[in-house]
Amino acid sequence: MQGQPIVRVRGVHKYFTRGEEQIDVLKNLSLEVPEGEFLGLMGPSGSGKTTLLNLIAGLDRPSEGEVWIRDQLISKMSEAALASWRTRNIGFIFQFYHLLPVLTAYENVELPLLLLPLSSAERQKQVLTALDLVGLTNRMHHRPGQLSGGQQQRVGIARAVVTDPTLIVADEPTGDLDAHSAEEILNLLCELQKSLRKTILLVTHDPRAAERAQRIVHLDKGRLVEGDTSTAIRPAPVGAVAGMQETAIKQQGS
Amino acid sequence: MIVLFGLLMVLGAIIAVIVVASILASLFAVGVAVAPVHKVPIRYNLRNMQVRWKTSLVTALAFTIVVGLLTVMLAFVKGMDRLTQDSGVPGNVLVLADGATDEAWSNLPPASVRQLPDDLQRMIEKNQNGDFLATQEVFVICTHMIPNPNPGGRKRRFVQMRGLDNVLIAADVHQIELESGEWFSDAGVREVTRNHNGSSIKDTALEVVLGNGIARTFGADVGKDSLGPGDIVQIGPRFWYITGVMKASNSAFGSELWTKDRSVQELFGRANSYNSYVVRTKSEEIAEQASKLLSQFRSERAMKAQTERQYYSNLTATNDQFRYAILFVAIIMAVGGVLGVMNTMFAAISQRTKDIGVLRLLGFRRWQILASFLLESLVLAFVGGALGMLVAYLLFDGATANSIVSSGPGGGKSIVLRLTVDGSVLLWGLVFTFVMGAVGGLIPSLSAMRLKPLESLK
Amino acid sequence: MIEQLLANPITLLCLVISLAVVVAGLVFAITSPRLFLLVIKNLRRNLVRTMLTCLATMVLVAMVTMIWTVIYTLDMVTTEKSKDFKLVVTERWQIPSQMPMTHADYVNPESPKFLPELKGMIGPNDFMTWSFYGGTLDPTKFTRENLLFMFVMNPKHIRSMMDELDTLDPALVKKLEDTRTGVLLGPERLAMINKKVGERIKVTSLNYKGINLELEIVGELPAGRYDQSAIMSDAYFNDELDKYARTTGQKHPLDNKRLNLIWLRVRDRDTFNRVGEIVENSPYFSDRPVKVETASSGIGAWLDAYRDLLWGVKWLLVPAILVSMALVVANAISISVRERYTEMAVLKVLGFRPNSILTLVLGESMLVGALAGFGAALLALLGINFALGGIKFPIAFFPAFFVPIWALAWGLAMGAGAAFLGSILPAQKACSVKVSEVFSKVA
Repeated sequence: MQGQPIVRVRGVHKYFTRGEEQIDVLKNLSLEVPEGEFLGLMGPSGSGKTTLLNLIAGLDRPSEGEVWIRDQLISKMSEAALASWRTRNIGFIFQFYHLLPVLTAYENVELPLLLLPLSSAERQKQVLTALDLVGLTNRMHHRPGQLSGGQQQRVGIARAVVTDPTLIVADEPTGDLDAHSAEEILNLLCELQKSLRKTILLVTHDPRAAERAQRIVHLDKGRLVEGDTSTAIRPAPVGAVAGMQETAIKQQGS
Repeated sequence: MIVLFGLLMVLGAIIAVIVVASILASLFAVGVAVAPVHKVPIRYNLRNMQVRWKTSLVTALAFTIVVGLLTVMLAFVKGMDRLTQDSGVPGNVLVLADGATDEAWSNLPPASVRQLPDDLQRMIEKNQNGDFLATQEVFVICTHMIPNPNPGGRKRRFVQMRGLDNVLIAADVHQIELESGEWFSDAGVREVTRNHNGSSIKDTALEVVLGNGIARTFGADVGKDSLGPGDIVQIGPRFWYITGVMKASNSAFGSELWTKDRSVQELFGRANSYNSYVVRTKSEEIAEQASKLLSQFRSERAMKAQTERQYYSNLTATNDQFRYAILFVAIIMAVGGVLGVMNTMFAAISQRTKDIGVLRLLGFRRWQILASFLLESLVLAFVGGALGMLVAYLLFDGATANSIVSSGPGGGKSIVLRLTVDGSVLLWGLVFTFVMGAVGGLIPSLSAMRLKPLESLK
Repeated sequence: MIEQLLANPITLLCLVISLAVVVAGLVFAITSPRLFLLVIKNLRRNLVRTMLTCLATMVLVAMVTMIWTVIYTLDMVTTEKSKDFKLVVTERWQIPSQMPMTHADYVNPESPKFLPELKGMIGPNDFMTWSFYGGTLDPTKFTRENLLFMFVMNPKHIRSMMDELDTLDPALVKKLEDTRTGVLLGPERLAMINKKVGERIKVTSLNYKGINLELEIVGELPAGRYDQSAIMSDAYFNDELDKYARTTGQKHPLDNKRLNLIWLRVRDRDTFNRVGEIVENSPYFSDRPVKVETASSGIGAWLDAYRDLLWGVKWLLVPAILVSMALVVANAISISVRERYTEMAVLKVLGFRPNSILTLVLGESMLVGALAGFGAALLALLGINFALGGIKFPIAFFPAFFVPIWALAWGLAMGAGAAFLGSILPAQKACSVKVSEVFSKVA
């Protein structure tokens, strides 16, 4: 069930200048992501995958070309407009979680909501929903330092979905986790995509993580690698949801 | 030299710009904190301060010291100001010899209100007995040999003695009441038995009334809280019997000794001479008119009349001198405090670079980051500053200290003042705290604001 | 110089501390040059922090230096000396002291009335009298700029008796002696009344009503202590008072009170005691009894009104500034230590002894402290004494205060001391760093 492309990247060129030298990071790149797709973005270090992610997430602007998200041309937005656009439309998940260490899980999840016109009751409802979704309501008053890596990343995911964003971008979300926790996080992402119909952009160089994506795009030296691009849509593994629930129950028990 | 001057000017201008910008930015930060706008929650800052409690404490303590000291120093000047403002009764006119810069240098002949023209006489109030509320006073600064001085310590002090022709009228004119005892008799002398080298001898002592400030000072010499009625003290070549103590803690009279004019005139070679006349009129306006008329009045010695309020409010040269010195010291100390808080804030920011990056990615804007960190610096400043003011208030408010008030270098009255921590002193403390927090926080907060979110997460 | 130093324990202490710090620093640099270099490198790692700490130390040290300059000067003049010191003879019981001129004759070795008991104790160069004459250049306007306050004295006593004027150009003294109506003015006073040497001024008296003078400015007093002062010859002053009596038929009201102070110099305390006894008990002074005291104790009595203030400055203000300086250093150094916790652990692993790490941290802060303190004191010394012409904070009759050379020792000792106090705890924490803990955290 794929809708209209939610992400449209058109002829994007991105370069940096270091002294006299021009370093091309992305070269004439075009990409479309349909709504509700779980897209894996793979490639070796320096291939430009994170740069592409940043362009789509509105953290950076292309040197040439256009980036459209829904009907918004974000590549031409002012920085101020971009910032508030990001709050509403993008959920970020980072490799190192990047939770604010002095805030509790609850407060970390609440953080992006503080930028939206919501009453505190509405905020509370949304935070609890998001925490419930990642199975961490029982630990919501703990600070990141008191949580395991996997749990921290789940807080990170809750923070990413709490604003009900158009697009979730995840940059190596399992890169800093052991195999078991990584599996849990990937299950969770799949579940989000399925049950909430979220569009997810996953940057990774871990093939096991990429496997979970419905489509994988390979980047090399700033170009999409032709032929390697798979358009096949894979269903999420059946066991994923069950596994996630199992974990949540375990957490509550502990 | 010109280059140096130019450099100083440029430096001054830069500092002024920074200070003004800091104040504006901080007002903005406070506005953001209280207004219902989207912002980084303040508990984020509070928790961070809590986590880095040692650094926070040390920084806040520096503020406590600077602001506490400022408060004490301002309380001292406030005490002096109060004294010069409260001394002097509205409606009183003080007459000195023309050209005398100080009461001690003035020299006037004995006089009577009856010598004045009728219109002037009518301006002067009378008491219920029909006597004019007018007094002539001889004022000397004399030497008091301190009994049993500490070895190596000072052996004598100057005390201010005022001789009055009629103490009851004088007390009325100056609105001074007794705290204990009674006024000295009209004769001004009494027979006493005093201790002399272990044996009692009979002597004729002069009667004197002490201001409560000097009574405490004298008391301290002999290990008492204060001297009181019945005590005997040696001043100049004579012994003095204390008949009473004046309630005059917050006026210049608190450090004075009042006695019969004759006693002073005979003892200090001032026969037939006074230093000042004071008359009471109905109101301050009439007092001003009377001052003008009296200054024009021709007598054997030219006179300069002014309202007593005016006279005391001119005795502020020393107050101003101290005020400027305090301001200077406070500013320098504030610079130290500001540099300290800058260190703290820079360290705080470098430790939280990633937090800033995340906040920016989540959509928080530069101004929200600036407001957040600036507010943190202000909170740090206020916690420390408020503690400093509190300590200063608890320890020093109401404490007494000796000082001097004068209208210029050279002269002066020694006085006993009461340190006063009042609203205006606290307000100044707050202003200082705010400016210090603002200036110390601005530059680090700007650096926090300018962090690029992507780079700060690397 | 040495006597002065011994009389001022704080300065002595600062000198000792400074020497110790410099010697320790040199020993450290020579015996472990590598460690020393590491200290320097560490300082350059966070330049902003080093600069901020350095600046904070400098402003605070400069502040204390200024305050101490005032206190030190007041202490110095009120410290009793044991040899060749000055006495003041003043009216016994009241202020201002006003004595008949005849009082001076009994203690003037060159007068026929000189008390024979005093022979051998006071020489011709050990005597001086002062009268004070205050007037205005414009009787219609009593502004500070118009005021002129003069020491009235015999010019030939200037070089022998006036403090710091022993090096005054003898030609100036000669000029003042030769010009009956001459006056010497301090450079600032001269600038304030907008006159030059050679010009004449008319002075209307404030304290000697009716004795108005026409003076000729014959020279300039040296800058510094006498910036605001004026000295005129007593001959002219006395003549004018006599003229007043002749023309008006009666003596001036202050005729018999024209002498304010008599200065004497004695060899030692014993002579002082004897002179005091002779003069105070002499029947010649009985109409206006006098007291004899050392100049130091005389000045001390004047400063009495300021004693609470000076107490506050000495025991509240200065310690508080030093403490806040230590706090600033403590803050900076503990931030540095925390940031380098891992590094300290690595150093330990590499075989550094705890003592070396302690030295590393202490050395870093004390080097900054000592240099900043010394620099601030040097700047204060040069800036205040040469550019500003002293600290203009008039107390009693001190117009300005000059930073003594000892300030360099104060600065160094204060900077290093505050740095030591501020960094001793963080340094101890750094050297007690547990390798295992740090690495378990990192992993």
